[in-house]
Amino acid sequence: MYETISNFVAAFLTLSIFSFLYKDNPFYKFAEHLLVGVSMGYAIPVLYENVFIPYVYIPIFLNHDFIIIIPSLLGVLYILRFSKNLSWLARYPITFTMGIVGMGVPLSLHTSVLVQMRSAMLPLDNINTILIFIGTVTILLYFYFSKAHRGIYGKVTNMGIWFMMIGFGASFGYTVMARISLLIGRIQFLLGDWLGLIK
Amino acid sequence: MKRQIPLAIVITLGFLFVIHTFVPHKISQDFYDWFQTWIKAISPFAVFLGVMSLFNVHRTKISRRVPNWQYSVITLIGLFFTAFAGFMWGTQEGTPYMWLFTNVQMPMSATMFSLLAFYIASAAYKAFRARSAEATVLLVAAIIVMLGQVSLGAAITKWIPETSRWILNVPNLAAKRAIMIGVGLGMTATSLKILLGIERTYLG
Amino acid sequence: MNKLIQIFQKMQSVDRRYIFIVVALSIIIPLLIPFNSKTYVTEPTESIYRKIDSFANDKSKAVLLSFTHNASTMPELFPMEVAVLRHCFERNIKVFTICWLPDAAPLVDYAINTAKEDYNVQSGIDYCNFGYRPYSLRIPIMLGMGENIAESVETDSQGRKLDNLPIMDNIKNYDDMNLVIDFAGSSSAIQWVMYARAKFGANVAAGITAVMVADNYPYLQTGQLIGMFRGLKGAAEYEKLVDVFASYESPDYPNGRPFSKEIIKETWVPITDDKIPYKYKKARIGMNAQSVAHIMIIVFILLGNIGYFLTRQKKKKIV
Repeated sequence: MYETISNFVAAFLTLSIFSFLYKDNPFYKFAEHLLVGVSMGYAIPVLYENVFIPYVYIPIFLNHDFIIIIPSLLGVLYILRFSKNLSWLARYPITFTMGIVGMGVPLSLHTSVLVQMRSAMLPLDNINTILIFIGTVTILLYFYFSKAHRGIYGKVTNMGIWFMMIGFGASFGYTVMARISLLIGRIQFLLGDWLGLIK
Repeated sequence: MKRQIPLAIVITLGFLFVIHTFVPHKISQDFYDWFQTWIKAISPFAVFLGVMSLFNVHRTKISRRVPNWQYSVITLIGLFFTAFAGFMWGTQEGTPYMWLFTNVQMPMSATMFSLLAFYIASAAYKAFRARSAEATVLLVAAIIVMLGQVSLGAAITKWIPETSRWILNVPNLAAKRAIMIGVGLGMTATSLKILLGIERTYLG
Repeated sequence: MNKLIQIFQKMQSVDRRYIFIVVALSIIIPLLIPFNSKTYVTEPTESIYRKIDSFANDKSKAVLLSFTHNASTMPELFPMEVAVLRHCFERNIKVFTICWLPDAAPLVDYAINTAKEDYNVQSGIDYCNFGYRPYSLRIPIMLGMGENIAESVETDSQGRKLDNLPIMDNIKNYDDMNLVIDFAGSSSAIQWVMYARAKFGANVAAGITAVMVADNYPYLQTGQLIGMFRGLKGAAEYEKLVDVFASYESPDYPNGRPFSKEIIKETWVPITDDKIPYKYKKARIGMNAQSVAHIMIIVFILLGNIGYFLTRQKKKKIV
């Protein structure tokens, strides 16, 4: 009985959202607003239990590591973001999250640029690796706007467009797949968990 | 001073992290351990930003009686009741809080994105036109990739999954790699701008 | 010919709600009437299987599953997670889980509970859920785990000190927890590549929604990602791999059999077979509907274009 009611509520809310396909209506608006509220409300106890308790409460009150009071107070400054006169104090906790970009400079350069460049150039031992090399270079040239795309240079950058179009086509094909998969999941819920038609 | 001190902290921390990446010395490790403890203690309070901003938006809508303000009441009830349920009855399996997650939040969140399946099908019919040679190539590549992913594609001919694999592994790879290199360079440049204090918008 | 053009013109202006009905039917019907279709296993999924399988019965190795998604992408990612957990439980492999979004925490429990029902496994011994950690701590924890997991993560989801858990014996950092699989609807696996792989040499794989698949191919070619689950199809492939090898039982192989390219190529698992529980073939059943839906979309594109060209020709003639 409990499970039936629970599934009914979930199915009702699922169908309320699907009702938008017909047109915007009060059921959809109700579900949409409820989702926003419940999602945020859900996060507060999770953060309290999994983050506040182990990283603030236990170190200060049980382990008496009083130095933790300083970063905790810095965290509290986030609230001042909404104050007219003291909002500048909210910059302090932000500075700590931004500092780590220092590590991102060498590591992202390594991951997304250097390793990729090396793999684009070596080894050029078959037609496919040569095509990958040509494609990568011609697209990079296409995005170089300091020289007019005319003459031979224009023809080279034009080749880049063709590679990009195939790439976008692949992305589009996979996007279709993803959206359909999500719908399959919801219909599996409605037909299986709710109506019991799939076993 | 309201901007300079935070900026100085970011620049100092940033460069210390650059050093930490390359120097595996004990001092460098101690600095990182200290940073971990501090950032962990700061992090739980960030939730205030989300809660306060959601609360302010909907409170304003209710107090100004804007059209459809009644739905903002539902958002706020959802917000406070869910949080209250978590603190009052716990967050374990079988509590009202988990019931709300399983039967309200989870199904709606999953359904919201599944709506896009309908719109992408409608767009496929009404908007995806082979208006030029480039658009035709895009559509043909998309169709081959779509067929290549499902068993029906292989049932038609084994060349469909083969061609789909080639498209993904060669021209698609080249395209995505070039874009990635561009984005990677852009990200590095932005990070450097933050490190050197040129980019300051994050300070608000 | 004119009549045909007229029909297509009418079809062009059809209310999109009729298209929506066709979409719904193309998914509902194959789900209600399941049929056996072939699931071809591809290289990116196979590599993940082989890597995990190489840890079988090895208590000094472990797998970390990182959940970076919420319920919105669950239909694609959840079957992958269940299949990987099932593989680990079948082959006696230590498995850890961690999540980075508040609303992912119950999804981790849900995945573990779904997979462990059929196995005699215990939390803290065979598997361990680190629980939720905020996204803002992702990079510090990723880096911290490279030095010492127990110090960086500190406690599991039940608040137990990691140092006190038997599962942590012989597991110190990425040298031991040698494979990280990030499940996400974004390119968040690349963060693991950037921090855990580039700095500590961890093996990284991605379980991603189909939307992000094409973008991640360059990382696959360079070997920065050792493998990739590609949307629902990836999940279906892994379900099959687990059925064919890890959960295979015979007098010769009482605890599953080793991977073989020949066997996987020639074995077709009938999904209409009641012996396989629904939860372990959900992705494969979904792929039936996916097949029909893809055909439908392709037909839509073709019909739309035929209509477009016929109308354009007519307009040209009039001019």
